[in-house]
Amino acid sequence: MRKKQCVAMLLAGGQGSRLGILTKKVAKPAVPYGGKYRIIDFPLSNCTNSGIDVVGVLTQYRPLELNAYIGSGSPWDLDLSNGGVFVLPPYQTGKTGEWYKGTANAIYQNIPFIEQWDPEYVLVLSGDHIYKMDYNAMLRAHIQNGADLTIAVREVPWEEAPRFGILNTDENNQITEFEEKPAHPKSNKASMGVYIFNWSKMRKYLELDEADPASENDFGKNIIPTMLGQGERLFTYTFDGYWKDVGTIESLWEANMDLLTLPMPIDLYDKRWRIYARNPGMPPHWIADGAKVVDSLITEGCEVRGVINHSVLFAGVTVDTGAEITDAVIMPGAVIDRGAIVRRAIVAENAHICAGAVVGEETGKIAVVGPKATIAPGDKVAAGVQVDADAQ
Amino acid sequence: MKDVMGLIYTGENDIHLGELTSQRAVAALPIAGRYRVIDFQLSSMVHTGIKNVGVITQKNYSSLMDHIGSGREWDLHGKQGLTILPPFLTRDNMGVYSGLLDALKSNLTFLRLSRQEYIVLTNSHTVYNIDYTDALRQHVETGADITVMYTRASRASTGTEGGDDTYLTVAEDGTITGMEIGSATPSSDCASLKIYITKRELLRQLVEQCAANGMHHFGRDLLQRNVNNGSLRIMGYEYKGLACQIDSIQAYFNFNMSLLDPEVRRQLFPTERPVYTKVRDDLPARYLGESQCSNSLVANGCVIEGTVINSVLFRGVKVAKGAVVKNSIIMQDAQIQEGAEIDHCILDKQSVIRRNGRLIAPAAYPIVIAKNVVI
Repeated sequence: MRKKQCVAMLLAGGQGSRLGILTKKVAKPAVPYGGKYRIIDFPLSNCTNSGIDVVGVLTQYRPLELNAYIGSGSPWDLDLSNGGVFVLPPYQTGKTGEWYKGTANAIYQNIPFIEQWDPEYVLVLSGDHIYKMDYNAMLRAHIQNGADLTIAVREVPWEEAPRFGILNTDENNQITEFEEKPAHPKSNKASMGVYIFNWSKMRKYLELDEADPASENDFGKNIIPTMLGQGERLFTYTFDGYWKDVGTIESLWEANMDLLTLPMPIDLYDKRWRIYARNPGMPPHWIADGAKVVDSLITEGCEVRGVINHSVLFAGVTVDTGAEITDAVIMPGAVIDRGAIVRRAIVAENAHICAGAVVGEETGKIAVVGPKATIAPGDKVAAGVQVDADAQ
Repeated sequence: MKDVMGLIYTGENDIHLGELTSQRAVAALPIAGRYRVIDFQLSSMVHTGIKNVGVITQKNYSSLMDHIGSGREWDLHGKQGLTILPPFLTRDNMGVYSGLLDALKSNLTFLRLSRQEYIVLTNSHTVYNIDYTDALRQHVETGADITVMYTRASRASTGTEGGDDTYLTVAEDGTITGMEIGSATPSSDCASLKIYITKRELLRQLVEQCAANGMHHFGRDLLQRNVNNGSLRIMGYEYKGLACQIDSIQAYFNFNMSLLDPEVRRQLFPTERPVYTKVRDDLPARYLGESQCSNSLVANGCVIEGTVINSVLFRGVKVAKGAVVKNSIIMQDAQIQEGAEIDHCILDKQSVIRRNGRLIAPAAYPIVIAKNVVI
């Protein structure tokens, strides 16, 4: 293996329990988004587009679907002889072996993986966000600042700052203080959970952290405060593009709806910064005579005979005559039968809404029909309710 | 039964496709909203379990090469995988094939170096989604020397008068007892699909023999002669599914339109045998504002603000506000600007119908707008 300047480590092990039924059986980064993507397509495509061609994906929770999706990495041009994408589950060493205890511990356990590439820098990513970001520009800033750690931040509205990890900096963007969810924020620079470390420093602090039994082995809670306390050079890098956390049902739904506004807040038509995805290989979608489609995204493989209004349909969705879909996200392979009504809802993969059923309400919280769940003819799913196929 | 290789000949006569194939081989012709014709033959081979596929190219093969690449989309990037066989110049070969037999003669090395016992040899202008396994099984069980796949369409091809459409007389036991090539009034309804199954080594010998005797027509010299003199056991295999020859503009138009029927799509795109193609990474199609769409196929990357009726839109097509597209086939990245109206048109890639332009063709004679043309 030849030396790499920078390798990326993508933390994909969390359950994402706030996505409820949607992550009951898959890891959050494998959750579908935007008609043809999964959340992980964004950090993976960003890496490829930024010229970072070694990506370790740290998995732990329900990894099967994610592993199958990543495969050889070819959709992202990450199937390389020298580099590529590597799925890294926890493993046993000698007599020991343990689960990833925290974000920092997950990287700690993969020190041998990183060492193989003898990198100068390590980029730490998470699989929770929809955004297009040039990590290479961030790396340039990191190098220019002579930083030990650079934290990507975005400037959030001041009233929202108390919800985030806030970084206070001097006029040169050098971090002076880190405050987790401050009641009275002194800055509105919120951490995005995207870090670039000098590998030698990172390794040192990971080992120190591991030796401390009291540590929660978390970047935000432990590593960053320790490095700051030791007088290391920590800088922020401000990202001002579209950035959406999709960690909750409501935010996932909103992020999908964002694609229906004009102009699209995240430019997915940009040929110089394509977001790549694995392709299911279906024929073009078909809109029947008598169907109606307004302000929506429709993916290949769909058959639409009903009315689609302000919604996102993933690959291979079938909507029968008289069905009405409004403000909804319909994931791959779902079937909506004759006369069913779906409003303000997420219908997950291969779910089946039978004739005349009603899912969601015009106002209130988003209703969710879980993967493979069936809503019987004429049944109703109220706002905010999640239907689990296993409970049926 | 995986001891099979595939060979696709893409040098067919395409004179009746006019402008559509002036810059590309039929194999590279965009079809069915997001595919190229060769995707169907390649995918069929891959789903049969064939791992070694040769593609014989002739003219204008750059768009074909660009499309196929390393063969990765078809999982043909393995140890054997895909071999592109372009024409080449030697002392006794000018690099221009006079037909399939001539092309095979030039590529005997590929046949010799392949390891599989059997070979499926197909043309590249018939669209189908066939699992060849059953035909291979019949071929082995009957001990045939050559098996010719045919379909019982009353007339498999459309509009190629004087071409080399081939009709077979098939005896009760499946033996082919007669072949009529280019007949205007064929006496049989068994139309050859020009898909052949044989042993690789036998094909090599037959091609060498024909070449040694100065013969150059695969149908007449290799097949028909051996059918007539009975020296080879040549059997027919009836394929009962959908197979459509793309050998004229009308045939191209009709085939694309036939896909608006969900039943036809189900036959051509069964869930268990997807048709693979080069991926473009477009986002899903976007419908905006007052758009209207009915009975149409729309690929990813399209942006529709106008009206689309009975049409097939390839990836990245834009239909602007107030534009009307009817009964038309619009290839990749073409644009129909505001207020323009088209009916019974075939727009090639990246063509543009400017604001308020009107192009209304008669149903019997669709107009073709060439690639990159702005009207």
